[in-house]
This record gives sequence, C-alpha cells and structure tokens, in this order.
Amino acid sequence: MKICIACGMPMQTAADYPQGDMEKDYCLYCARPDGSMHTFDEKREGLTNFIIKTQGLDEEAARKTALEMMAKLPAWKSYFNP
Amino acid sequence: MKTQRQTQKDQTRKLLLDTAIVQLAKDGLITTKTSDIAKAAGVSHGTVFVHFPTREILLSEVIEEVGMRIASRLNELAGNGGSVRDILTAHLKGLSEYEAFYTRLVVENNLIPEKSRHTLIMIQSAISIHLNHAVEREVSLGSIRPFPTHLLFNTWVGLIHYYLSNADLFSPNHSVLHRHGQTLIDHFLTMISP
Repeated sequence: MKICIACGMPMQTAADYPQGDMEKDYCLYCARPDGSMHTFDEKREGLTNFIIKTQGLDEEAARKTALEMMAKLPAWKSYFNP
Repeated sequence: MKTQRQTQKDQTRKLLLDTAIVQLAKDGLITTKTSDIAKAAGVSHGTVFVHFPTREILLSEVIEEVGMRIASRLNELAGNGGSVRDILTAHLKGLSEYEAFYTRLVVENNLIPEKSRHTLIMIQSAISIHLNHAVEREVSLGSIRPFPTHLLFNTWVGLIHYYLSNADLFSPNHSVLHRHGQTLIDHFLTMISP
C-alpha cells in the first residue's frame, strides 16, 4: 500500500487516487481537478482550512500545525531542508 | 546491500524504538528515564545516545512513529466508509490498540516538545475526514441533526478523552474503551439524532 507523498494518507484502492490513477504517488485530496499535484502553498492552505473546519483550531495554530505535518512528508521535505 | 554491522545497528535502533513505545506508555512521556528504556531493551545507557543524540530526539521519533501507526490504522479501519456508527466504532477500535500510549499523548500533549505536538492533530485528521463524510451523508438523509463540523467532532473527542484521561476512575486496570466504548457511542448517537 502506498502512502500519499503530499499528505501522508494511506492509499488503499483506486478511489483514493486522482482520477483513479494508481500510478500516481499522491492521493485525490492532493490533486487539482486536472490531476496534477497541489503546489506547496495550495497544500499548506488546504490542510490549514481542513484542520480549522474539522477540528476548530485557531487559524495561526492550524497553519503552524499544517507546516509541521508537511515537514515530515516526502513531497515537501526540500522546502524545509534546502 | 547492507553490511552486517549496519543491519545490527538498524535492529538495535528498532529495538530501542519498540521498547521506548512500551516504556513511555507505561511511565509517561515526560518522566520516563532513558536509563529505564536502555535497561528494558537490554542495552547500555550509552547505546541509546548512539542512536538518538538527545532524549528529546528519541521522544520526538517515538511520538512520530506511534502517530503514523495510529493514523494508518484508523484510516485502514474507517477508510471503507459506512455509517457514523461504523466510523465511531472503527475509531475506538483503532485507539484501543494503542490505548496506553494514546492516553499519554492526550494527557501530556501540552508538555511535550512543540515540534511533536502536531502528531495528535494528525491522528485526529485521520479519523475526522471519514467521520465528516459519514456525517454529511446522514445529515442529508435526516438521520443526524446538523452541527458545525468541528463542534460535532470535538464533542465526540472530548467525551472519549475525558474517559481516557481519567481511566483510573472509570476503569481501573482495564481498557476504558473496551469497558465504556459501546456506551459512549450509543450516547453520542442519541445526542445527535433528530
């Protein structure tokens, strides 16, 4: 089972992949409508908004948490350790 | 190909991580001594620092590792969708498999190093995404009353965290989730039903 390189979600079935494409290394939540992967800024804002919506965190705390999560993920490591 | 020395080093590192998971869950994330982890793993105290230069690095790696395991397990159990009851049941099943460590994380979260504190939010994210989908479906069917997403989730999590963090009062010496989990699920569903 692959783990999404951009958000860490385990991808179990084709439904977890963008447009069902199991060749991709990222999940459907990390893809734009055309199937390409979100940019760093898009993902940071997406994760921040997701955390605020589902867990109610303060905006700055949510953004900080989103960045800490992203720092551990292969897709974004180079942004933190240039 | 790895040398025998490298393989042995990897094995010792894994042994230390696995031992630390058990020891930290038992004695606390903040108060467990590295010397006790070394003793339980059957290695010298100095060996711990060969693999993890500081106690904070060891703690951070253990929290990250357990967090990933819990998040992955929750996703596996809840990822096939199902009703709100199914997702809540999957949530408690996943947490009960790591109950001691998860409880430590909940109770000590504001005491651990700041860079490790996102782990608890990551675990919540792994389940909230599935719960949110199920809730939206059942709200549209009219079988659940509509609530702000975060309040519904935090009401549920607040309930189970209260029982976990006071497990010595609710279920001394036994899993509080095994003993009270079903009651908590039934109660929560009754509260959000129309």
